[in-house]
Amino acid sequence: MKRYILNRLFQFIPLLIGMTFISFLIIQLSPGDYFTQLKMNPEISPETIEKMRKVFGLDKNIVVQYFYWLKNVFTFNLGVSFSYHVPVSYLIKIRLKNTISLSIFSIFLTWIISIPLGIYGAIKNKRWEEKILSFIAYIGISIPSFFLAMLFIFFISKTAILPLGGTTSIFYKGATPFERFIDYLKHLLVPGLILTLSGIGSLYRLMKNNFLEAINSPYIFTAYAKGIPTWKIYFKHALRNAINPMITIFGYELSGILSGAGLVEIITGWPGMGRLVLEGVLSFDLYLVMASLLIGGILLILGNLFADILLALVDPRVRFK
Amino acid sequence: MGKILEIKNVVVGNEEIKILRDISFEVEEREIISIVGESGCGKSITLRTIIKLLPQNLNILSGKIFFEGLEITKLKEKEMQNIRGKKIGMIFQEPSSFLNPLFTIGNQIEEGINEKVEKDKKKERVIKILEEMGLSYNVYYQYPHQLSGGMQQRAMIAMALINNPVLLLADEPTTALDVTTAFGIISLLKNLILIHNLSIIFVTHDISLAKYLSDRIFVMYAGIIVEKGPSIEVYNSPLHPYTQKLINCLPEKYNKGEKIKTIEGEVPSFKNLPLGCPFSPRCEIKNKICEKRIPPEIKIGNRIVRCFKYGNFMES
Amino acid sequence: MNIFVRLRKRNFISYISLYIIIFLYSLAILADFISPYPYNKQFRDTPLCPPTKINFFDKNGKFHLRPFVYEYKLVNPSLNKYEIDRNKICPIYFFVKGERRKILGLFPSRRYLFGVKEGKIFLFGTDMHGRDIFSRVLYGARISLSIGIIGVLISFFLGFLIGGISGYFGGKIDNVLMRLVEIFMMFPSFYLMLALRAVFPLNLSSFQVYLLIVIILSLIGWAGLARIIRGMVLSIKEEEYVLSAKALGIPTFRIIFRHIIPNTFSYSITAITLSIPGYILGESTLSLLGLGIQEPYPSWGNMLSVCIGNLRILSNAPWMLIPGFFIFLTIICFNFLGDGLRDVCDPKNW
Ligand SMILES: Nc1ncnc2c1ncn2[C@@H]1O[C@H](COP(=O)(O)OP(=O)(O)OP(=O)(O)O)[C@@H](O)[C@H]1O
Ligand SMILES: [Mg+2]
Repeated sequence: MKRYILNRLFQFIPLLIGMTFISFLIIQLSPGDYFTQLKMNPEISPETIEKMRKVFGLDKNIVVQYFYWLKNVFTFNLGVSFSYHVPVSYLIKIRLKNTISLSIFSIFLTWIISIPLGIYGAIKNKRWEEKILSFIAYIGISIPSFFLAMLFIFFISKTAILPLGGTTSIFYKGATPFERFIDYLKHLLVPGLILTLSGIGSLYRLMKNNFLEAINSPYIFTAYAKGIPTWKIYFKHALRNAINPMITIFGYELSGILSGAGLVEIITGWPGMGRLVLEGVLSFDLYLVMASLLIGGILLILGNLFADILLALVDPRVRFK
Repeated sequence: MGKILEIKNVVVGNEEIKILRDISFEVEEREIISIVGESGCGKSITLRTIIKLLPQNLNILSGKIFFEGLEITKLKEKEMQNIRGKKIGMIFQEPSSFLNPLFTIGNQIEEGINEKVEKDKKKERVIKILEEMGLSYNVYYQYPHQLSGGMQQRAMIAMALINNPVLLLADEPTTALDVTTAFGIISLLKNLILIHNLSIIFVTHDISLAKYLSDRIFVMYAGIIVEKGPSIEVYNSPLHPYTQKLINCLPEKYNKGEKIKTIEGEVPSFKNLPLGCPFSPRCEIKNKICEKRIPPEIKIGNRIVRCFKYGNFMES
Repeated sequence: MNIFVRLRKRNFISYISLYIIIFLYSLAILADFISPYPYNKQFRDTPLCPPTKINFFDKNGKFHLRPFVYEYKLVNPSLNKYEIDRNKICPIYFFVKGERRKILGLFPSRRYLFGVKEGKIFLFGTDMHGRDIFSRVLYGARISLSIGIIGVLISFFLGFLIGGISGYFGGKIDNVLMRLVEIFMMFPSFYLMLALRAVFPLNLSSFQVYLLIVIILSLIGWAGLARIIRGMVLSIKEEEYVLSAKALGIPTFRIIFRHIIPNTFSYSITAITLSIPGYILGESTLSLLGLGIQEPYPSWGNMLSVCIGNLRILSNAPWMLIPGFFIFLTIICFNFLGDGLRDVCDPKNW
């Protein structure tokens, strides 16, 4: 088990290096490089520029620069934001928290909802209940998250039942920690629900197919032949086998969640990484963009690692390899 | 000896196809029966009919099944659950896919235990039966993928026998195994009926193996049992043209260089079965009547055959 | 072709989706002819005008065989309040005369499919600049629908090339290429898309932006396809007919052309159909965020961008969301069609 985890960790290292290299390459590819832009900006003193030049090795050749950059990345020095004049790592820290809480909130909700629905759909396969569910799932899969977000906002603008935009209300200052938490959750609800709704469809379909496959497997027949009651067969034998492939695709799902979160953040005004990248792109703040890209990638790697470990915990075939 | 299983004129299928047609047989106490036939002739479906676990689209359309005198064709699903695994055990061709990969062998055997006993007692019992099957107690803690095919099959048998059933349904339990491992399993089964009070219905397409293992052989063709009789007699003097050809195909009947006579033609598909005897399209001695009606069971001594050749049908 | 017959028999909803897709593409192609106004025509006096209802009965309940619209008048510009002038009937005519436009960019014409001679007809209402949303939706379809196809074809080409090489040759090449694929797939696509966009200047010409979007989307999309195709090639390589063809000494290229390609064909069609929504989404996302197709030229994405963070417009003029509905319709049709194709291409279901 330990060896397996270490093994996975080692496998992710080349991936990480590749990712950093591609991020770096993208900065290099861009025509007006960051450095010349800095020089043209009257607000930045020549001393700062000189310091940056040293730290990032901007006067050396590309490969050397890459290693300078890599070293900086590992010490969380992701450069200075060109438009905010603060370290990128500082900007990201605030936003990352919001993106992660949004993602976790909606992943949790999506799984909680779609797994029982998937089981229900599989049990009712080819009956009207399943057909209706699957049709709704189709709509959920096909509706663009930004369009869903807009419809949601339209609905909220008419009813005003939930707060929109930002993470806190105005009265925030005087509130107790518990009130603050509730307030944060309330603000999280709009982007979170949108993200959840747009994720349920595909997860439902996956779960339904997995469960269907599981309940048609030979080992399920064995369980029936042993005289085990149907509910136990479903919830012991079939469920475990249907969930495992879901864990495998968790990493892939996470990619969709992070992307979806980015967009939904922008539309609902939730101050997360998505908005940060967009601001970065619009103001040509390359270091900010690249750092966000990298952080996004690292989040995905961590998510995959988490899924791998989880899978090893629940699947003996993986664990005893 | 009393009958433990009695099947009377069972038909299985749906509106479109009939897979089993007019199946009747009995199983005595401590008897080993082999059902022999080509792939797809309905052997597995026969076994699944006995424990009423048919594919969703198939049903028992008519006929009766009695198990220990009880008409199980009338039982509800809940009542069947008290028979499956408790009175009738079942083992399968590919233990690797018929064992749940995510649970230990111990867990999978234990969950079948009928009585409400403490966990420790259950474990004791499982380990005891594992050892009886020639497995070490370690296997209790192991997962299916950690065992070899032969060990998996033994674990499967342990699982089927944990409640001391009176009937074991074995669906080609040795087909996926190599010869020596298979022989080990066969010997195990032969021993088991001596120790436990057990009857076995053994499905195979190897008629030589059937002769070696069983008391009686049933030969099946396209959903019909065409011949029933004591193993040695069926093997040495087959009555039905199909059985005759089947035995004539066996390689051990030939010397080196001789051409093996195969059965010409193909097994009819269940979608368009011939009107009469299903073997008639491939039969060399068929008559007009063979294409019109399915032959009835004809008793010859202690044997039963379904062919118009026997009895007085040929003239008409 | 029998695929379509099978589609109609087995999966009617996919069959209908196919026709809706064809219909949408025809609308896009014939946008110059069908749309009553040019995409950039601004009616300054009617910004955010609600959709004009088509009537058959006038205010006296009199039936008109020729459908008509009423004139909408802006009565309160600050509240954006419109009133219907029920005294003014504007009948709708087929093949009315309007401004000179080139149909398909080739044939100059002054006649359009339908329109009104007096007053204005806004089937889907107007935007803030008083431009007809219906016309803009049709023109926007050109961008949104074509980018999906072009992007997917380029990605597919790349995916086939790289996935094919990887799967066919295996070994080290396979290893390196698959690591590369993994790296690309390890970036959340939204962030990768924005990062790639950040490399290029913001103010590009429409055509440059169009090309750029195609390139960015293909760069993001190839990796997943390459992986799928590699898997497919690997499994086909192991299929009996290929092995036996190899054993018979049939040359490699014949194996590829006679056995591998025909066997991937039906699969490829399905995969292409199911990937198109991703590209349509990609384009609309970029345009929505103001990083893609720029005003005044419409795409379904950039027509929605005013709705971001603009609660007032969203709640007062919900018809601004209509382009989003078209994106949704297109995507759901492609999804239905793709699933239907997968269904009928699967030999198990024949
Ligand atoms: N659910 C089903 N619906 C329709 N036909 C079925 C179904 N299941 C099995 N059959 C058909 O019933 C026939 C008998 O199947 P069965 O599994 O009993 O064959 P078998 O004799 O056990 O063959 P094998 O030696 O390959 O295991 C087969 O021809 C099969 O096509
Ligand atoms: Mg079978």
